[in-house]
Amino acid sequence: MTDATRTIRFTLNGRAVTARIAVYETLVEVLQREFALLGARESCAQGLCGCCTVLVDGTAVSGCLYLAAFADGAELVTVEGLPKDGVLHPVQQAFVDKGAFQCGFCTPGMVLMTKELLEQHPHPTEDQIRHYLSGNLCRCASYPEIVQAVKLAADKVHI
Amino acid sequence: MKNFELVEPATIDEAVALLDPDDAGVRAIAGGTALMLMMKARLFEPVRLVSLRRVNGALRGVRENAGGGLTVGAMTTLTELERSPKIAAALPVMSRALHTLSNVRIRNVATLGGHLAHGDPHMDLPPILLTLGARVRAVSRRGERWIDIADLFVGYYQVAVARDELITEIDVPAQPAGVHTWYAKFAALSADDWPSVGVAVWYRTDGERIAEARVAVSAATEMPLRLAGAERALVGNAPTPQTFAAAADVAAEAIEPVADIRGTAAYKREMVRVHTRRALAQALHTGRAAR
Ligand SMILES: Cc1cc2nc3c(=O)[nH]c(=O)nc-3n(C[C@H](O)[C@H](O)[C@H](O)COP(=O)(O)OP(=O)(O)OC[C@H]3O[C@@H](n4cnc5c(N)ncnc54)[C@H](O)[C@@H]3O)c2cc1C
Ligand code: FES
Ligand code: FES
Repeated sequence: MTDATRTIRFTLNGRAVTARIAVYETLVEVLQREFALLGARESCAQGLCGCCTVLVDGTAVSGCLYLAAFADGAELVTVEGLPKDGVLHPVQQAFVDKGAFQCGFCTPGMVLMTKELLEQHPHPTEDQIRHYLSGNLCRCASYPEIVQAVKLAADKVHI
Repeated sequence: MKNFELVEPATIDEAVALLDPDDAGVRAIAGGTALMLMMKARLFEPVRLVSLRRVNGALRGVRENAGGGLTVGAMTTLTELERSPKIAAALPVMSRALHTLSNVRIRNVATLGGHLAHGDPHMDLPPILLTLGARVRAVSRRGERWIDIADLFVGYYQVAVARDELITEIDVPAQPAGVHTWYAKFAALSADDWPSVGVAVWYRTDGERIAEARVAVSAATEMPLRLAGAERALVGNAPTPQTFAAAADVAAEAIEPVADIRGTAAYKREMVRVHTRRALAQALHTGRAAR
């Protein structure tokens, strides 16, 4: 069959990169295999939990349901791209300050969704926070602390 | 997943030329949220996927059409619809429903064309578009045609769009003044889950009476459909709790509910009764879509 593999070019956390991929591969698979980025990780594998969140051209997508081929030409940001010069992004710092995790498996997705939430709603109400993050599941049920962290981040971040 | 051919044409003409009326393994891919689930579960093993993402420009956005209604490009994402001021002003019932349709990440990627072409009976927008009287433009090498939304859903995961056709846009006509609309989404699991039952209602009052009514149900039935009996039970009557309860009873008795993990058939019938009644009552107070 034609087209078994292809080379895609995109920007990953600010760096221009290329990757050799199979057309059926998902974004999470390629980020893990080609770039050893493990922040976006597959858990539910069906769009429900948010553990695989990646920002593609500024919007959050489920990397488990996104063809890697569609990243060609796009700008991607994963949680690894958030710190600047070794300093955590304010959203990340807010999660640390509030202890908004136990195992941390859901945290990269929560952090990236929070970043998008604060771009949409710089001063979110509790309702908006809960609604926006309703597609991000935390198996450890750190939800109260996560909501606290988002509020703290909203006070600190000015995007 | 198995290997397949992925093509990314730049125009609608090129895209339809790549479809194949004789091969079920050849399909369009828009956001891919529904297809990827099917491919991961091996329910669908594509031979060729025709991606519409590079045809985006021609297929994207919400605009006013000549009839004063709205035309939505098939590749418009559900997030774009959710945030569209035009949709919010003309069709608030849709904006509201989009807010609890799946989660942000899915809405960021899923498209209206994919939502309708998928034919999944458990979806939120089909019953609403049934009550709004939408139509869908389908294009193929053979030409183009408009499909009335009432003719689009033909069975369980079956739509009237042929294998070699693409949906390019969706037209929603201008709604008459004084129309009341509401969509009741009943989710049995979590708030943004797929609906266990969805009921969309639309009615126009003339003085003290209901002059025209549309009621559509989804998720409880094999496919989204209008309920003519419930509509007849409304027309000519005053919009009172008694009228609404009577129409809801007709709705509940008219359907052949399909059980799934979100409810048994008997439970879904009761939920259709409850949510038809509630939707009709809610529409009276808040569901104005007058333009
Ligand atoms: C986790 C999750 C939760 C969800 N929850 C809900 C919910 O609560 N409510 C709800 O209503 N829906 C829900 N959905 C379904 C969602 O709405 C659909 O997956 C989505 O709308 C499909 O759009 P898409 O662009 O991704 O379609 P795709 O996956 O790209 O395509 C779907 C089908 O449509 C065909 N197709 C796509 N575009 C066209 C076109 N222009 N012309 C002809 N054929 C076309 C494809 O060939 C395919 O058969 C959920 C989905 C997921 C993954
Ligand atoms: S792994 Fe992708 S949303 Fe759960
Ligand atoms: S901290 Fe363990 S899943 Fe959220």
